[in-house]
Amino acid sequence: MEQDVKKTEQGSNETIIEVKDLRINIKVDEGILTTVRGVNFDIKKGETLGLVGESGCGKSLTSKAILGINDKKCKASGEIIFDADGLGRVNLLDLNPRGKEIRSVRGKQISMIFQEPMVAFSPMYTIGAQINEATLLHITKDKKKAREISLDVMKKVGIANAEKRYDQYPHEFSGGMLQRALIAMALVCNPKLLIADEPTTALDVTIQAQILEIMKELQKDFGMSILFITHDLGVVAGMCDRVAVMYLGRIVEIATAEELYANPQHPYTQGLLGSVHKIGTKNQDKLFSIEGTVPVAMNLPVGCGFYDRCTKRVDGVCNVYDPELTDAGNGHRVACFACTGCPNAKKGGKADE
Amino acid sequence: MSKGDKILDVQNIKMDFHSKGVTVHAVGDVSFSVGEGETMGIVGESGCGKTTLGRCIVRAYEPTAGAVMYKSSEGDLIDFLKIDKKTMKAYRKEIQMIFQDPYSSLDPRMTVLDIIKEPLLANFPKMPKEEMERKVMDIAAKVGLNTTYLKRYPHAFSGGQRQRIGIARALVLNPRVIVCDECVSALDVSIQAQVINLLHELQKEFNLTFLFISHDLSVVEYISDRVGVMYLGKMVEFAPTKKLFSHPMHPYTESLLSAVPVADPTKQMERIPLQGEIPNPANPPKGCYFHTRCRYCTEKCSQEAPEYKKMEPEHFVACHRAEELKLKGFDYDD
Repeated sequence: MEQDVKKTEQGSNETIIEVKDLRINIKVDEGILTTVRGVNFDIKKGETLGLVGESGCGKSLTSKAILGINDKKCKASGEIIFDADGLGRVNLLDLNPRGKEIRSVRGKQISMIFQEPMVAFSPMYTIGAQINEATLLHITKDKKKAREISLDVMKKVGIANAEKRYDQYPHEFSGGMLQRALIAMALVCNPKLLIADEPTTALDVTIQAQILEIMKELQKDFGMSILFITHDLGVVAGMCDRVAVMYLGRIVEIATAEELYANPQHPYTQGLLGSVHKIGTKNQDKLFSIEGTVPVAMNLPVGCGFYDRCTKRVDGVCNVYDPELTDAGNGHRVACFACTGCPNAKKGGKADE
Repeated sequence: MSKGDKILDVQNIKMDFHSKGVTVHAVGDVSFSVGEGETMGIVGESGCGKTTLGRCIVRAYEPTAGAVMYKSSEGDLIDFLKIDKKTMKAYRKEIQMIFQDPYSSLDPRMTVLDIIKEPLLANFPKMPKEEMERKVMDIAAKVGLNTTYLKRYPHAFSGGQRQRIGIARALVLNPRVIVCDECVSALDVSIQAQVINLLHELQKEFNLTFLFISHDLSVVEYISDRVGVMYLGKMVEFAPTKKLFSHPMHPYTESLLSAVPVADPTKQMERIPLQGEIPNPANPPKGCYFHTRCRYCTEKCSQEAPEYKKMEPEHFVACHRAEELKLKGFDYDD
């Protein structure tokens, strides 16, 4: 434990959560999908880590594995070390997903905001009742007190007229208001870690800007860490301290936001950044686009997952060895032979350049 | 500044929906014109009426009032909204639509070949089967679909591929105008770029005119020649793309631009937050529709609706204070 504290970088102190070699396999009729293939990252106290990737890259599964709310079909292995109150440092994957221990973590110490606010709320209960649920479970049994706590949080996330809104049903809320209510629900127990899974994707840009501002402010107030999952590189730039880019179940690049945007290394990251047109820049004749599509995560060939679509691939290296995250200076880690030069293949393979 | 001759002239389109005794003015008095070969972007938040407007133009809805003057390939000027069904069929070939959701806009029980062929069957029932299939093959190859897979059903294709099917279906009749309603919004960024590039190429090749409806401002900025901004069913600003993005004249445009996430942590723009939410279109506020959320609002704004007028050549704005306000836009490199 002491070692871990020492390991952390300057500026931030303790590590809140550490994901080590997380792998998730899903059994389907056709075989086994290897959706998450060895993901490693950690999040420090008060830090926001962005997890970026296209649909199907495993970012949502990774986040849900932390809370143990993946489907039964998903088999997770590896370690998710979380410093839980009352439990000490535990591997969340060891806990029974329906057991008491994980339930003392879920919703209290780690909570989650989902993508679709319309779907995340039950239409049958009032907003207040749904926010109270977590409070009554974790903090107090007193309903009056719970109401006060809920109202307080609702005000904090910028819901005007909180008293009136408390007794309303989800259909009476607009999308942006509902997303605020969802954030209130996630924050009501003052979590250490907030997982935000595409929290603004379903919203308009103006509302998105409002929600992001609120999240930033609340992070300061509550001092929590955020795992921010999104496919939008623009949103990440304004929100996150560090960014991890995922492709086909792997983190292919991780760095501080400034470093990543100024100096993207992995061809996939470069492609992603290049395919977003920046307003104010001269119109190129063609947008940069990554050829092909993400392969299905079944029976993956050996070598780098991005090999087929990569512009910098080196035949005989990239399709033979599996690149691992390697230091590229400035705390920048990247899993690409073309970037780091030396193919440090997985099992002592020595490849000539 | 329109590229070619005026191909589409939308005049005072109005669309009201009635439901349970409530009238919703989804689109109120929108006018603009589009030149041949031009891409015209329409942006706005959800519920601002941009999709309704698009559907009115292809006459998927019957607008309450207004006219869509269309210059056909033969050169005659017709009001697309007034012609009877039979005549319309002839012209409808020339105006096609690409839809937002590549999942729900394709019939899961038809093969891709049949989907792309359907418009031909409907419009040229006498065309020989071989010719029809040849046309389908040609267009499928053009949009980048692997023609050996055309006998498959849509579920076997990815989102980007499906959107290509939708584009092929719209193109098979050789249209002149295509209304693209959020046609890349459901796609991942890397796929989005592929589809946008495809649209660009097709436009050059067939001299297509696009009406590009989207809420994604950076996509619109990339693809459009001119852009219209809608708020609560009304066009509040309309200008050539660069002008609109660098020198917006309507406060709503300004805050919309400031809300665009910029993919560069060192260049974050100062956000101009909009207070509150878009008002209920069934009960719009008095005066300027935007005054409830506008930070430049004056007494006059809450009483009197501003006129939509030309402020500079090619630049139309509906704001009382458009002249005096110095609003912030994006800095352009060049």
